[in-house]
Amino acid sequence: MAFLDLFIVNKSGGLIHHRSLSEKAPQIGTNEWLRIGSTFHSLHAIAAEASPVRGKIDDGIELIESEGLVLCCFQTRTGIKFVLTAEPGTGYLQKVLKEIYVAYTDCALKDPFYELEMPIRCELFTQAVNDVMSRFGNR
Amino acid sequence: MSKSSITASGHTLWSKMPKANTELFALTYGSLITELLKDYDNDIEEINNQLERIGHSIGIRCIDELLAKSEVNGIDIGPCSNLENTAEVVAKIGFRCFLGMTCDVANVTEKSFSLFLYENPLSIFVELPETTNGDDDDRHQSFNSDGKENSGGGPDWSKLKYSNVYCGVIRGALEQINMKVECDFVRDVLRGHDVNEIKVELKEIMSDGAGQDYHEE
Repeated sequence: MAFLDLFIVNKSGGLIHHRSLSEKAPQIGTNEWLRIGSTFHSLHAIAAEASPVRGKIDDGIELIESEGLVLCCFQTRTGIKFVLTAEPGTGYLQKVLKEIYVAYTDCALKDPFYELEMPIRCELFTQAVNDVMSRFGNR
Repeated sequence: MSKSSITASGHTLWSKMPKANTELFALTYGSLITELLKDYDNDIEEINNQLERIGHSIGIRCIDELLAKSEVNGIDIGPCSNLENTAEVVAKIGFRCFLGMTCDVANVTEKSFSLFLYENPLSIFVELPETTNGDDDDRHQSFNSDGKENSGGGPDWSKLKYSNVYCGVIRGALEQINMKVECDFVRDVLRGHDVNEIKVELKEIMSDGAGQDYHEE
């Protein structure tokens, strides 16, 4: 049961962070990841519009389950989407995403040189994500 | 969320946040103000604007921290159904968990509310100097462009909004959740009033952006 990839999409659909979390993760180039990020952003918005029941503001894709993959998305009230892909059967996806959100606020946001909506290049953030991964047992 | 659960959440979050020394905090802010006074040559209007701008940069980050930490601690700050709810969250959770301050909400209308701040940690050692009129001040600085009453005297300290950074923080934080507001520090204990009051006016609720492209016509 392994986590495969983490990616973070900003309010306007641009990819601000991508990271593979295990060797089982597919080897895809950065440009592909940018495309995946913006595609997911649009799909998320379309899903919210297409929904027969219009609920809260953070409507959108929460979970995609398939035979080879589970994709979990957490959209914050401020419009940032944290997306995690993992092997089927991996537990605690929502929990991990919330912990990563806290890591984002503590490391990336408090970095005085980090501008909002820009790509995250922060050593502390990478460390914090590593810690979250080891706590939730990424094998 | 009910008012009592909002207050309880504020207390819980405050207990989970790392604490800093109050004096260090107050004195650091005081030295920031002194630096601003030197940099902008005692131009009080400009300093108020700069403080608001600094607060804005802080606010846009604070909101995510508030939302993240409350999620992780099992506190569900649901979407606010009206402005009063938002005001309660700002006062009881926001100010409480970051600064340990007790705040009250008052004068709630459809488009505005007031926040009363009782103890202000930023101004615990502060006293604003007397505004000098006339020629016995050694530094003659006239601020005719600001239209102040005393021309030829020192800067008009009563116009300094010492804690204007709070107004910026509120504006920045609410901007991130698509609420455009304007904040003003209307009453200040430092200027002789009995309580600190911030008036927040809702200008508009911005639409989200992504969804708009896919709206059915």
